Amino acid sequence: MLKTLFPTLSRFRFAVQVLMLFVTVYGSIVVGHYAADKITGALPALSCAYDQMNGGYCVLVPTQHQVHHRIGQAMVQAQQVTFQMVLPLLLTFLTFFAFFFVIGKAFCGWVCPLGTLQEWIGKIGRRFGIGLRRFEKGDLGEVKRVRPVKWLLLLGLVFLLPLLTGLGVTPHALGNPFCDICPSRVATTLLTGNTEELALRIGDDWKFGLGAVANTLIGFMLVGGLALRLPFCRICPLLAFNSVFQRLSPLRLAKPTRDNCGSCRICTEACPMDIPEISTHSGRKAYNEDCTLCGRCAEYCPQDGVIKLKWGPFALFSSSREYYKAKVKGELPDGTVKPLKFVKNAAKPAAGAADA
Amino acid sequence: MKTLILALALATSGLAAPVFAQHDHGAASVTGAASAPLGRPAGRPPARDWTKLPLLLGKGERGERARATIAVRGLTAASVTVHAADGPAERRKVDYPVGAAGASIESVAPQVGNYHWIVAREESADTVRVASTAWYFGNPGDSPKDLLAVPKHELEIVPAPLPREHRSYREAEKWRFLVRLDGKPLAGQQVVMETEFGSRSTAVTDAAGHATLVFPRDFKPVAQEGDEGSEARRRARFVLSTEKEAGGKHYLTAFNHAYSQDPERNRSLGWGAAFGILGMVAATPLLRRRQPNEGASGHA
Ligand code: SF4
Ligand code: SF4
Ligand code: SF4
Repeated sequence: MLKTLFPTLSRFRFAVQVLMLFVTVYGSIVVGHYAADKITGALPALSCAYDQMNGGYCVLVPTQHQVHHRIGQAMVQAQQVTFQMVLPLLLTFLTFFAFFFVIGKAFCGWVCPLGTLQEWIGKIGRRFGIGLRRFEKGDLGEVKRVRPVKWLLLLGLVFLLPLLTGLGVTPHALGNPFCDICPSRVATTLLTGNTEELALRIGDDWKFGLGAVANTLIGFMLVGGLALRLPFCRICPLLAFNSVFQRLSPLRLAKPTRDNCGSCRICTEACPMDIPEISTHSGRKAYNEDCTLCGRCAEYCPQDGVIKLKWGPFALFSSSREYYKAKVKGELPDGTVKPLKFVKNAAKPAAGAADA
Repeated sequence: MKTLILALALATSGLAAPVFAQHDHGAASVTGAASAPLGRPAGRPPARDWTKLPLLLGKGERGERARATIAVRGLTAASVTVHAADGPAERRKVDYPVGAAGASIESVAPQVGNYHWIVAREESADTVRVASTAWYFGNPGDSPKDLLAVPKHELEIVPAPLPREHRSYREAEKWRFLVRLDGKPLAGQQVVMETEFGSRSTAVTDAAGHATLVFPRDFKPVAQEGDEGSEARRRARFVLSTEKEAGGKHYLTAFNHAYSQDPERNRSLGWGAAFGILGMVAATPLLRRRQPNEGASGHA
């Protein structure tokens, strides 16, 4: 029964993403109006607190807020850092971890509304035959060069600037700077039919500038996402935040040895984050900081049992040749949908027929 | 590639950009709002006589999450009663004496409790006059659902719902209020709204006791410089009132709170869209150059 409903892992993930998009963008319909009714205020996905209809807030909001008010401003008053000041932040991390523990980084690949939107934009790109661009040598350059950006954004915009603002060093408008450049704020509010966050704040240069960055990012994501998979995720500070904790959740990507790995690189090709390590490495290194636990690499690995999605000792999904064969019939590792190809291939024997 | 780097550079430029002194908390800022939540128009002098109705005027201090002062206007009461949404049972309902500056109230517990409901009451032989308001302490706490559901006096105006934490009533928005008498919804009851800027409107409750009111767009377009912080300029007070004769007594109940300027007034959708389009244009080079097709089907 479950098999017919969800013949593949991707189909199952798609269903979860649809459900989670509803919960993270319109969840208040179910959970209620007040912030206190929300599922949590420290979700490991960009479920935006500015969206008036959501079902829970992302963890970056309380983090910026507490660093700004509870630590920064309190330090000014007390002239020292006390345990009392960092306590709310620790509690936020603890709440975050209560959620994160269960499905770890799958919050990115399965829950985050912005991740889901980007993925769907990518699907549209594949449907329309837009050439896929990758972070690899010979195309956009090595993915390693982009990776530090998310750490800079996390440290600078989620921790440092809010702290400096709390200390009175930077202007008040920089109290929650990441939210101000966050594309999820704009995207999810637009999804609820609210254009307020798309509009830029006039009369405050900082807010205007940061908002302009957010809108540029959103525009870039909408169009760039057609060719480049998950463009924003690559610089997302929440991905960096999640990857700090990624080894502490039982849910993980496992590629214990390279024994049967044929180094075919199909997994990397299937990976929406263009992670080369999944094919070139094994063990700890194969589960990269950029991984969103989408499971595509495991789906497309043509070798039995080489890549697995595991929760503790249990293998939830394990790569297999048979699954791979069935899977590529419908969709290629890079996401190209097969019927398009069929037209192309079928045209070949007929010699000279136009490409699809 | 270059465009992407550019976009990234733009995104990170906030880190290194120079800093000039500026102080603006931003009414729509989610995190920022906590230090000036609804009902705490910081530093505002006592309201001039814009209404004859009884009012409870709250004043908090920046960074103070456990204490506030409530001034009582247009009504004589020796104490105000504070109802909390959560916290220890014996602290859920506390009376505070009204002094010269008003009543100094506290949140239900030092670090807990956000939504509080405040009531002042004046009773004579034939009339009962009640002033009520809500106060947000900015601490983590339960939702006010149960707090609002419990009847707290005879004739009540109950927000349904209250603006959630970090939000506020705003110009041009529609909000619903429930009118109850002895805990039961009152249908066909008139509710009057008055604002600090002099607007006045009325609504009548439906069969379920709900009245829907639209906050008028009545903020003065140009803010007066100097006298108050920008925070205060974007917020103003309003009061709802309703009256009823029952059991030989005349009941008058008021609920007052603050509403804020329509944030769209200070925002530009045109600029917003312009930068969105800029981002789109910046991304188009990604679409143009197609990768040499290495035929992934060959792997099968
Ligand atoms: S703006 Fe972004 S970071 Fe801020 S609450 Fe919304 S989703 Fe989270
Ligand atoms: S990396 Fe992507 S999926 Fe994960 S939180 Fe950021 S935007 Fe969402
Ligand atoms: S490594 Fe695998 S699970 Fe992780 S993002 Fe890439 S394809 Fe998805």
